Amino acid sequence: MSPWLQHLPVLPILIPLAAAAIILLFAESQRTLPLVIAFGSSLGQLLAATTLLYFTTDAVPHVWAEGIGTYTIGGWRAPFGIVLVVDRLSALMLVLNALLALPVLVYSIARSDRLGVYYHPLLQLLLMGLNGAFLTGDVFNLFVFFEILLAASYALLLHGAGTQRVRTALHFIVINLCASFAFLIGVAMIYSILGTLNMADMAARWPSLQNGDRGIADAGAAILAIAFLVKAASWPLNFWLPGAYTAALPSVTAVFSITTKVGVYAILRLGSLLEYSVAPLGGTWLFYGAIATMVFGIAGILASRQLQRVAAFNVILSSGTMLAAIGLAPGTMIAPALFYLLGSVLASGALFMLTGMTERMRTMTPETANSPSAQPVTYSAFRVGEPPDPHPPDAEVGVAIPSAMAFLGLAFVGCALLVTGMPPLAGFVGKLALLSGAFATLSRSGDTFRAWLLIGVLLAGGFAGLLAMSRIGMRLFWSVTGRATPRLRVIEAGPVAFLILLCIGLTAAAGPVMKYVDSAAQLLSDPQAYIRAVLADAPEGAP
Amino acid sequence: MEIVYALVIGVLVASGTWLLLRARTFQVLMGLSLLSYAVNLFIFAAGRLMIDRPPIIGADGTADPARFADPVPQSLVLTAIVIGFATTALSLVVLLALRGLSGTDHVDGQESDT
Amino acid sequence: MVTLTWIILLPFLGSLCAAFLPRNAWNAEAWLAAAVSLGSLTLVAMRYPQVIDGGAVRSHLSWVPQLGLDLTLRMDGFAWVFSVLVTGIGALVVLYARYYMSPADPVPRFFAFLLAFMGAMLGVVLSGNLIQLVLFWELTSFTSFMLIAYWYHRDEARRGAAMALLVTAFGGLCLLAAVLMLARITGSYELDVVLASGDLIRRDPWYPAILILVLIAAFTKSAQFPFHFWLAHAMAAPTPVSAYLHSATIVKVGVFLLARLWPVLAGTGLWFGIVCTVGLTSLLLGAFAATFQRDMKGVLAYSTVSHLGLITLLLGMDSPLALVAAVFHMMNHATFKASLFMAAGIVDHESGTRDLTRLRGLAHAMPITATLATVAAAAMAGVPLLNGFLSKEMFFSETMFAGDALPIRIGLPVAATLAGVFSVAYSVRFVHRVFMGPLAVDLPRTPHEPTRWMLAPSTLLVVACVLVGTLPVVTIGPYLNTAMRGILGTSVPAYSLAVWHGFTTPLLMSALALAGGVVLYTWLYRRWDHALRPAPFAQLADGKRNFEVLIVRLIRTADRVMHLLYSPRQQAQLAVLAFTVVAIAATTLRELTFANPRSVSPIHPAFALLALVSSACACGAALQAKFHRLAALVMVGGTGLATCLTFAWFSAPDLALTQISVEVVTLVLILLGLRWLPKRLAMTDARQQTARTRLRRTRDFALAALAGVGMAALAYAMLTRPRHPGISTFFIENALPRGGGHNVVNVILVDFRGFDTLGEITVVGIVALTVYKLLRRFRPAPESIEMPQQQEQDPVEGVGPHDTQDALPHGYMRVPAVFGSLLLPVASVVSIFFLLRGHDAPGGGFVGGLIISIAFIVQYMIFGTRWIESRIRLHPQYWMAAGLLSAAAAGTGAWLVSSNFLTSMRWDLHLRFAQLHLSSTLLFDIGVYALVVGATGLMLIALAHQALRSRRHVLPEDAGHSARRNPTVETDVETRWKSSTRS
Repeated sequence: MSPWLQHLPVLPILIPLAAAAIILLFAESQRTLPLVIAFGSSLGQLLAATTLLYFTTDAVPHVWAEGIGTYTIGGWRAPFGIVLVVDRLSALMLVLNALLALPVLVYSIARSDRLGVYYHPLLQLLLMGLNGAFLTGDVFNLFVFFEILLAASYALLLHGAGTQRVRTALHFIVINLCASFAFLIGVAMIYSILGTLNMADMAARWPSLQNGDRGIADAGAAILAIAFLVKAASWPLNFWLPGAYTAALPSVTAVFSITTKVGVYAILRLGSLLEYSVAPLGGTWLFYGAIATMVFGIAGILASRQLQRVAAFNVILSSGTMLAAIGLAPGTMIAPALFYLLGSVLASGALFMLTGMTERMRTMTPETANSPSAQPVTYSAFRVGEPPDPHPPDAEVGVAIPSAMAFLGLAFVGCALLVTGMPPLAGFVGKLALLSGAFATLSRSGDTFRAWLLIGVLLAGGFAGLLAMSRIGMRLFWSVTGRATPRLRVIEAGPVAFLILLCIGLTAAAGPVMKYVDSAAQLLSDPQAYIRAVLADAPEGAP
Repeated sequence: MEIVYALVIGVLVASGTWLLLRARTFQVLMGLSLLSYAVNLFIFAAGRLMIDRPPIIGADGTADPARFADPVPQSLVLTAIVIGFATTALSLVVLLALRGLSGTDHVDGQESDT
Repeated sequence: MVTLTWIILLPFLGSLCAAFLPRNAWNAEAWLAAAVSLGSLTLVAMRYPQVIDGGAVRSHLSWVPQLGLDLTLRMDGFAWVFSVLVTGIGALVVLYARYYMSPADPVPRFFAFLLAFMGAMLGVVLSGNLIQLVLFWELTSFTSFMLIAYWYHRDEARRGAAMALLVTAFGGLCLLAAVLMLARITGSYELDVVLASGDLIRRDPWYPAILILVLIAAFTKSAQFPFHFWLAHAMAAPTPVSAYLHSATIVKVGVFLLARLWPVLAGTGLWFGIVCTVGLTSLLLGAFAATFQRDMKGVLAYSTVSHLGLITLLLGMDSPLALVAAVFHMMNHATFKASLFMAAGIVDHESGTRDLTRLRGLAHAMPITATLATVAAAAMAGVPLLNGFLSKEMFFSETMFAGDALPIRIGLPVAATLAGVFSVAYSVRFVHRVFMGPLAVDLPRTPHEPTRWMLAPSTLLVVACVLVGTLPVVTIGPYLNTAMRGILGTSVPAYSLAVWHGFTTPLLMSALALAGGVVLYTWLYRRWDHALRPAPFAQLADGKRNFEVLIVRLIRTADRVMHLLYSPRQQAQLAVLAFTVVAIAATTLRELTFANPRSVSPIHPAFALLALVSSACACGAALQAKFHRLAALVMVGGTGLATCLTFAWFSAPDLALTQISVEVVTLVLILLGLRWLPKRLAMTDARQQTARTRLRRTRDFALAALAGVGMAALAYAMLTRPRHPGISTFFIENALPRGGGHNVVNVILVDFRGFDTLGEITVVGIVALTVYKLLRRFRPAPESIEMPQQQEQDPVEGVGPHDTQDALPHGYMRVPAVFGSLLLPVASVVSIFFLLRGHDAPGGGFVGGLIISIAFIVQYMIFGTRWIESRIRLHPQYWMAAGLLSAAAAGTGAWLVSSNFLTSMRWDLHLRFAQLHLSSTLLFDIGVYALVVGATGLMLIALAHQALRSRRHVLPEDAGHSARRNPTVETDVETRWKSSTRS
């Protein structure tokens, strides 16, 4: 590998940092140049991420043995220095992040970035935090990157001010601060026992722990896991999410649809390294918590009256789905979960951006519009039992749909199919993969109850999503009264279309993608490979 | 010594948690500060307690690990302090803004009926 | 076989083209659609030779092999016949629709979805892979949803469509589950494999579940009891859609599936029981309900339910002959029902209504239509010499051999005859009501024959009915045989399609049915129809209300669940979080051993005192924070001080230094903010301690105590454990030789783990930006914006707005001002000193930065914002950007010597007068310094500026409104300030 290419792993962190710093140098009045820089940085991240992904594949085995690349910061070898680790999972997350960020950036040029200062630098810093969290192989460094992405997400959540945003932001901040405390406590406990911060090193020494030590270390890992679960919006630690994701700007929530997955990623990373031996990092705790999360998400979707709220609960549902998959049977379920993740993140990103456009056509009656909280439905909401209104024969002439509406409608249908996992798009493939994985565990494992539970909740979730989406969609697009066709702008419609097309491409290329996520899951199921790769040049019996 | 140290942490955590669960934003802010002290002390404790062995290598440059306090937790605490400082400042400003916008200093931005 | 793929691809491509045609181009649309459907039809016809002798054409396209999810197309005789029906009738419907749809209709949407639906149907029919079948199954649900809701501005269209979608999609989900279970048994989704392993499946314990799921799917699609209700409401669709969906396609999908899986699932008592019961119920129910409908399409809809019930009943009978009859009736029903729908559409189109109570004697106005409708209705009623008669005969004869049990042997034929009676009755009513008698006068439009092109499709279908009815053996025989070979392979039973079998019981039953039907209708005509009473037991027939109530119940339950599982209140969330942490820690912590007590060092009294003080301060703060904020703040500061001393005590000078400087800055920040909080006196809200609040307080107290005890125990357990050398050894050993610094902590911060520091300063920077972002929009609460008392007392002497020209502020701030102005240079020197010595002694960039920014804020406090900013301008953004960039540069510089990011480099410059040791870590630390200065400055200044803002607000509250009205409104001060914070 060329001397310059070897620095590739650190680029996804450095590019956005540098971009943000440079944008800070410009006056607010200047617009084009900062935009160019931000866009260039996002493109650069995408390029770097895809290259890293390529390096992890079997196509180029000579680059990195076993498809795991490492990069020691400051040249201090693991476990002493901080090391960045690129395995297939992290490369996948990097690419996903870049793919989501690019359209969001374009979309926000239309409106959101002018509703307040420093939108673009903060967005870049958020990306930096995400990329760092995906790359780092050091648990305390992971904390630092968590803090970066949290701080940036506080800022973006507050973007555009407004009472609702500030109120939810306070909750968001306080909860996440407490989660960070938990993080630190966990790290401290683990360090006090193992005397190391490097995840691979931790994993290597974990099995050899004595009872008393093992107890404290486990408790540390468990407390650590709680911090992850808060981020991953697992019930009952996810009450902050619906408010925040309903209050924030659509472009912000669009990029938020991946920040919850960082928690899932962290659980997956640490859990796989510790072979899911610690309670909430896997097994029953995680599984039932995740099932509760899914039920919570489904109920929320059904109870929601607003599209953005439905989208928010859908984020919860997808997180729960992934966690449940990990909790059920990491061996077989991770690959399906990863495929599902790709589809759901891209789709919910598109859906959130779509809400930004649809909320401008004023279909909601005021009381539903400005009260995000769920109100009890009345029978009159469905006009049950009332006779259908009489129609004169001349009413039997269709109403033409303006092309803007047609686009919005099609985009909505696409998103609905994707997030509900209905055929024929990627959502269906992902859900099918999860279902068949669950069925596969049925024949193997002893307790079939959990698998059946997951299958049932998955199917129910699909139906609930369909019900909610069809109700809201018909209210949005088919209510004839008082609808103003929004002015559609290419820089807003383009990103949505891009994401949906991306999902369609994902559907078409499901075979190869599935092959890749399978290999990623393979890698995760063998922590020794990771440990070998990270501690490669560490001398025998290194402290 | 250790028992006293541990007790201090306990008291700080308890009072911090108590304040965290209160309804007024300022109380929550104070609770967060107390908790961050406690957490910093806790991290520091991960390196055990040593008296006058600052991890500063003398001019002679002899570096016998047994003669120095564990520097790693200290550096971790330093990072934690800085980040804690930043987040405290942020939450302060947010609670001011909430107070300004909603007219109350209740954590939910509105007086709860209970 | 490429052509198979094209058969499905063609309609979808066509729909894509149709969608993008201009909305007034309906000739082009129609031509396109017709071409597409005829094209598919010819492609299908071309394949006939391969399937005629029970063979099957296959094409395989790999999609997701890992899931066994491939695109397998498989056409056997049965699929072939269905494809012909779908495409052929599709073509006719297109032709019909071309003249039916009004010019004002947006036809592109119509034809696009029609073609897409056709493609989905063909996909279902030709699927060789069960998952793929499910996929297309759901696609038909969606496309039919769009077609039914074509006139979406009509409420009933919307609701009918939604009902159809939800019911059929629900069925699809059940089918998905069933298919997955089948695959677990047979190990493949491929239809061939599944069909081959019938016994295996029937013997499997999962068989009942699979069967029920499949049946739910089939019954939802085929509108069988109890899912029949959606069909009647789907009649809100344009008539061409109804003619297509409810004759040949979507309702047939269900029975198609049953016939498809017949060899696998049929042949058990369970199958017989369920399928026959449901079929019989739907048969009778539909026939009965159809007799009382007012809407022509309503009659046809319920008759469809009834006829599909007949098919289902036949499928349930488990005999190959019954299967033959079923398939035969599928074809016949498609033909006559399609033509009847078209006739109804014509009547509606020309006379403006479909109401049977208003229509009269249209035979005078439109004789051709009348004849066509009459013949088709006769076929529906099962009049001899028409195709309906033949399949009905078969049905009657099958009912007699269905089972040996007496109730079945007698009951089934009787029930069948009864259903026949009703079907005759409603057919007669349909014809008589609409076409016979004197011509009605009060119709919305004056009826007349439509253009002949509109009649053509229905004519063709009627001709088909007659031909099949008279010469079955030559016309339909071979194709029926092909279809049966497709399902049953070689074991096709012997059956005769003869019109005349001599005087047999079935014939008698038909005769009875015909006669009884006429009698029934004449009776009803007198007793019922004049008084327009609704059908008796109408509630039974209309499950719509139950359905919607069900949906509402579902949503209400969801609401209840939300209220149960969710609370937006922060206190609740935090309590849950704290509880979870404690609980999980307690459960995972199997045993907590406090190892060797000799590692415990003796208690030093001074430290004990310190600990006591800090604990006391913490408790005090906890008690006072509500009513005496300043006191609480001071006490928290005391705790912080104690913490700082603790660090110093236990040999962590760097920590002590940092902690103390952070303390100062935080204190200043909070003091600046304190004045914006509402006054709260213990008196004002006297404790009205309700039981509830007391309960909550005890709960919180218990939680807090629990957390405290837990943490203390953990800390003690950690402290008493033997120290693990871990990675720290490496750092201590290498700090000087390889890190080039005596202060190990600092070396770790800027070198070993410099990456953490980079991230940490990034966080600080982000927060500073956020604070600035937020405070620009800050709107102080109205009551807290008047001047503080001190300033009220002496507005002249006070720190009120200075004349920025003065050298020094006047009044009591003069003396501090002198000190303050002296402080700045000193502080800068000190801070730089700390920055530089950091590598070898306590200190470093962070502390240095804090010191200088404290000096800055002191300037602001003493001199006031305007005075300061008229002289010095701090440009926080530049400082921050510079800090980040120089830190990053210090890292990337290493690339030039091709070593990793943040690798430290040292240059020893031997100058004549001195020796300089430069290190890249110094540059890094300078970056930290710059960023801290910028960030802290930005935050403090931002807060300090609020004072100015408040003063401006003394003129009656406007900021609120103006800010709300126009978010970018800014005061002169703010603009000046921003110009100061930005260049």
